[in-house]
Amino acid sequence: MIARYAGRRLAQAVFVLWLAATLAFVAMQLTPGDPAQALLAASGATPEEVAERRAQLGLDDPPLVQYARYLLDLVQGDLGKSWLHGRAVGQMILEQLPPTAELAIAATAVGVLLGLALGVLAALRRGTWLDTVATMVAVLGLSTPTYWSGILAILLFSLRLGRLPATGEGDLRHLVLPALVLGFALSGSIARLVRARVVEVMGEPFVLAARARGLSSSRVILVHVLRSALAPALAVVALQFGFLLGGAVVTESVFARRGLGKLALEAITWRDLPVVRGVVVLGALAYVLVNLAADLAQAWLDPRLREGVS
Amino acid sequence: MKRPLPFLALLSVLLIGCSASPSGARIVYGLTLAPSGIDPHVNASSELGIPLTSVYDTLVYQDPETGDFVPGLAERWEVSDDGLAYTFYLRRGVTFHDGTSFNAEAVRFNLARITSPDLASQKARFMLGPYERMEVVDEYTVRIHLSEPFAPFLDALSQVYLGMASPTAVEQWGDAYQLIQVGTGPFIFAEYVPGDHLLLRRNPDYAWGPPAYQHETAQLEEVEFRFFTDPATRSPALETGEADVMGEVPPQDSARLEGSADFRVEAVPIPGVSLMVFMNTARPPLDDIRVRQALLYGTDRQAIISTVFRDTSPVAYGPLAAVTFGYEPAVQETYPYDPVQAAALLDEAGWSDTDDDGIRDQDGESLALELYLMGWGYMPEVGQLLAAQWAELGVGVEARVVSYPEALEVAGEGRHHLIPFNLSGSDPDILRKFFHSQAGFNWARVDDAEMDAWLETAAGASERSKRAGLYSQVQLRVMDQALVIPIRDYVNLNGVSNRVQGLRFDAQGWFPWLIDVTLETR
Repeated sequence: MIARYAGRRLAQAVFVLWLAATLAFVAMQLTPGDPAQALLAASGATPEEVAERRAQLGLDDPPLVQYARYLLDLVQGDLGKSWLHGRAVGQMILEQLPPTAELAIAATAVGVLLGLALGVLAALRRGTWLDTVATMVAVLGLSTPTYWSGILAILLFSLRLGRLPATGEGDLRHLVLPALVLGFALSGSIARLVRARVVEVMGEPFVLAARARGLSSSRVILVHVLRSALAPALAVVALQFGFLLGGAVVTESVFARRGLGKLALEAITWRDLPVVRGVVVLGALAYVLVNLAADLAQAWLDPRLREGVS
Repeated sequence: MKRPLPFLALLSVLLIGCSASPSGARIVYGLTLAPSGIDPHVNASSELGIPLTSVYDTLVYQDPETGDFVPGLAERWEVSDDGLAYTFYLRRGVTFHDGTSFNAEAVRFNLARITSPDLASQKARFMLGPYERMEVVDEYTVRIHLSEPFAPFLDALSQVYLGMASPTAVEQWGDAYQLIQVGTGPFIFAEYVPGDHLLLRRNPDYAWGPPAYQHETAQLEEVEFRFFTDPATRSPALETGEADVMGEVPPQDSARLEGSADFRVEAVPIPGVSLMVFMNTARPPLDDIRVRQALLYGTDRQAIISTVFRDTSPVAYGPLAAVTFGYEPAVQETYPYDPVQAAALLDEAGWSDTDDDGIRDQDGESLALELYLMGWGYMPEVGQLLAAQWAELGVGVEARVVSYPEALEVAGEGRHHLIPFNLSGSDPDILRKFFHSQAGFNWARVDDAEMDAWLETAAGASERSKRAGLYSQVQLRVMDQALVIPIRDYVNLNGVSNRVQGLRFDAQGWFPWLIDVTLETR
């Protein structure tokens, strides 16, 4: 049963990867500019030499042939070489992965903590002004694009208060603002789910029973309520992983950080197709894996979900 | 190589005196891009040359003061009368950082690597121009054959892109050689963590530098390169001591650094093609020379230099930067700022504001020009000022910021009216890339058989005076035909800590000769 379910999910994963790779290919086809020309124009290459390079890169072939080659390389696990840098794409991605992972992890931590705090607070003080404020903050986080909140954060913390570096990277202080900005955006959806879950749990018989046994209110919240609220928070993190990757691209750009986002932007600007393909496919792969793991875990925990899916 | 004798070392310390660096001296050098690919044979960025000029030696060097070519890894050379064969007599006793000996076979290996289609060279291959083949005459003599005379050949050979790499290391490391880089230069490539830092360490055995170097071996023990891609972070990094030298400081920070007791700004003019706006002579209304001349007269270049570049760049009057060999000073007289003359020319060309909307028109068409701008090199800021200045003449501008590949496509197809660009290079043959009718950057869409002939003759002529004469004619013709609006000569503003002395740059203006840099103790 589980094997069949896992097999189906794997097939879905392959489909998502194919779709992501294909969309990236089509988008690059539609972007103006000739990569061979961009690489060689300033070097004094003759038009014939540029044409030669274009043929060498396979850009003369019909789009369908290029597309087939693009997919075939991918299936064989060959990410190819960057046209701009002449280096292996896999290697380049590995080099840029740590700063992006660092940001994603720090932002997730901020998002979960902030989301839990806002959600629990709103639920426990349901109907009061605290609930309204917490919900408003959550909606603000949900609806503010990171390029906007990022600039606001730089204005406030770096320029006004002068406490934190605005851009660049290095020590942990450089990570604070980008992680706060991205984490804030993530916290919105977590807070809303947590609030709903806590409200629900508070009325459950086991919470009432715990209270009836004379446990202190803080103990009830810590042990029973928070534990059951954590599950939806983690589910949101898995669901929002794609958002996190996309947000990281924007956040890296706003805070002049190195990482996969920077790499992708440069590759798109130079029409460096192998790098674009590499970043997109690995991003999609990470997304698929995170969600697959989350779904399989949930299915294993809760047989009802398994039935529902199949 | 033997270590220098102790008394020689002592002597050199005495000779250099107080400027001698403390042992273990190191500086941090700020770069403006974090290029991933840094192999000079493969990649094309200027940033890679900043560290790697000290890692690789070239066959010849160009003296930045005199412009003469001086011996490097080649002790001397001969050029055949027809200009087709260059014979280089190589220096003996030179070893690569990995111990491999430098000889004719190493030169053959390097040229074969650069010209191999598999390497997909982005710059080095094309700098060789009409390269045909090379022969190993004996262990220390090579002869390079060209298919046609090519005057910029020595200039090309003097640049890091055609530096000599260790054949052993290249073969051993394959694709991974990108992060290894083994040459014969005064510094050894010690470590590169892409995007983070690049470290050079002094080569103690170095003894074959060109006469233009002032020291026998490097005075610094280590040079660490770090990347400051965001212009706003560059001056602060210098001021907080994170870096000792910083390239491309923004003009608005320059005065503050100059005013400090601890820093200075070394403004290095870069030879090549000035920042200039190409006017598409094939697209109405710019097919009318009077309209093009009106734009030239109607442009207050000094105002742009003051506002955007804070007077750190010289005004450009012609297509070549003033520090380039062959520069013709007479271009300075061509188009003074004269809005009255500009308006008169537009009137004469039949453009007047009949519908009173502030923009001139003719037969119901308004005088609106499409200006394409690339997002770097202060081009958007320059474009904004141009639009404001021309608005006063009654000329409308629709500006669009595009990526470099898109700019190449738009301008290549002639869909633009105006597009600014600049390119560095020490040989005036660079003009051929822009003003020859078949050139890739012929963004003015000029088709002048006489100018084509001048450019071709100059590219093959060996006498400097003859070349200078031909390039002078080209520059005057470009301005006479009003093909471009020159704006500024490019200047690299290097912010330098006053602890750092002896910073010099090669003839290209971009690449520091780190061997001569010393560090003063406080």
